[in-house]
Amino acid sequence: MTLTIDSIRDCFDGAIPGLIATCSADGVPNVSYVSEVHYMDSEHLALTFQFFSKTRENVLANPFVTVMLLQPHTAAKFRIALRYLRTETEGPLFERMKAKLAGIASHSGMSGVFVLRGADVYRVLSLERVPGRTLPPPPSAINMLSALRACTQGLTNAADLDQLIDQTLTSLERHCDVRHAMLLMFDEPGKRLYTVASRGYEVSGVGSEIAMGDGIVGVCARERTPIRLTHTTSDYVYGRAIRESAAQAGFADRLETEIPFPGLAAPGSQLAVPLTLGSRLLGVLFVESPDEMRFGYDDEDLLAALAAQLSMAIHILQSSPEVHEERVAPPPRRAPAGGPAIPIRYYPADHSIFIGENYLIKGVAGAIFWKLVRDYEREGRTEFSNRELRLDPSIRLPDIADNLEARLILLTRRLAERSSDLGIEKTGRGRFRLRVAGSVKPVQIADSAH
Amino acid sequence: MSQSSQPASILDTGHVAFMTSGVSINVAARDAHNIPTLTRALGCRVSADRCTVTVFVAVPDAARLLDNLRINGAIAVVFSQPSTHHTIQLKGSDARVVAREPDDPVLFENFIVALAADLAHYGWMESYVRTMLSHDDENIVAVAFTPNAAFNQTPGPAAGAPLASTGTP
Repeated sequence: MTLTIDSIRDCFDGAIPGLIATCSADGVPNVSYVSEVHYMDSEHLALTFQFFSKTRENVLANPFVTVMLLQPHTAAKFRIALRYLRTETEGPLFERMKAKLAGIASHSGMSGVFVLRGADVYRVLSLERVPGRTLPPPPSAINMLSALRACTQGLTNAADLDQLIDQTLTSLERHCDVRHAMLLMFDEPGKRLYTVASRGYEVSGVGSEIAMGDGIVGVCARERTPIRLTHTTSDYVYGRAIRESAAQAGFADRLETEIPFPGLAAPGSQLAVPLTLGSRLLGVLFVESPDEMRFGYDDEDLLAALAAQLSMAIHILQSSPEVHEERVAPPPRRAPAGGPAIPIRYYPADHSIFIGENYLIKGVAGAIFWKLVRDYEREGRTEFSNRELRLDPSIRLPDIADNLEARLILLTRRLAERSSDLGIEKTGRGRFRLRVAGSVKPVQIADSAH
Repeated sequence: MSQSSQPASILDTGHVAFMTSGVSINVAARDAHNIPTLTRALGCRVSADRCTVTVFVAVPDAARLLDNLRINGAIAVVFSQPSTHHTIQLKGSDARVVAREPDDPVLFENFIVALAADLAHYGWMESYVRTMLSHDDENIVAVAFTPNAAFNQTPGPAAGAPLASTGTP
């Protein structure tokens, strides 16, 4: 079997620093450590440019270098001849390497010292295995291809977005042994992501939000590229910096901070992949583990392939027509009132909703809920369609057409978590029912009172 | 360049103690087209006057490196302690293959034990380090050179600066 860059990708996971030999224009060799050698594709690698060093000076004068890497587990050594092409100082490759370097720095006690100035892109000229003994590779616990196949199969059985999301997280757990995962959808006008589902956390965190560019999820979303951390690093902790970055962006008041972001207190490895359709961002699939080095290049490939399938499935569901003709049905009877009415407060400034003293939700989902409750209170209506919500002028938000179903899932799940008296049940494609145990007492609070 | 042309060593005893303490050693050379190559070394010996540094490399791994050294003698050697990141690099222009000494195998073994102990800091198993440095004694070649430049290469703001004195003579 021919030795290829693709077959030794575990050498590029940053577990062991590599070595780089360069040579000056006047023939003086130089050898130095390189913190991170990043796999781009079968013909290209990228190296971290961190310091204005002799290596840097030599590379710019003489682009031919040799890198030596050690394989984790087997101790096999590889020498790779490379030719320097260019340096990238921003964009997806830069961000991916920056995140990985932060993890490596943290792991090796070099936080604050290892700073990425650029991602140096090289073409692979040749690859050789250095002679020597090796250890047997550990058996692979999961066959990635069959796991991907099983996950993909699961998606085709989903009838709506709710099932699609649940099926994705269930499949990841069952077939890929991913025990901590969440799915976030993109709120384009709000420039943020909101959690619609999670697995493996004490609290679901459904409804929690992340600003674009914040933490591993936010960077993944902003750059539309997978971000993978093989070691814990405080540089990419979400949550802690949310309020700060949101305050800087001027929308701290609008970012959901009442609902805490789920997530492991001490993650060892994290991986976020974007859900995209062309250049359009739909959301982010995020997984993590308490173990270091848990997610490798193959895991990233699997998740990226699954994310592509998921994005297509979401697109197909959103594109297929819902039931448009309004069913002519007698207005349902208001449920018999028993006990005191449920107090519901609505703050129009940010569409936030409180049931009794408990915060429920804000934003688009809050506006939707307010309409449902008001219609119920005025007309006793409990049956609703997605179509009427799309057309309702009181829920006037530009992205409503694309994200209505995700907002309804969010609202449904928040209600399930926060209230036993109120709920939303699906009654058919594009239709649902508001379940109310008793009567409601909706009160709109003037803007100034909030 | 002959050894006697060096008036005094650029290394002090502190540098030598570090270089011979079982830190990771890697060697680079270059060919006639300035294409560099590199290989891992199995230990280091420094002459009493500190003017000659000898490193040990294995064939066939180091075959190309040795070819390059025989032609042009240009060499770079990096010494690094994994647990502290303390790193220095030496340069030379007179690298040549020299005769081995009888007690070299003891030096190799001591080197492996010391490096494995340091790498245990990162959870590396000694079996892994032994595999990484596996060799046949008869295939080890001694390469000697006169260091004519030395640099601090510990990551940080001082990286790349000429090697400072350790304060020991």
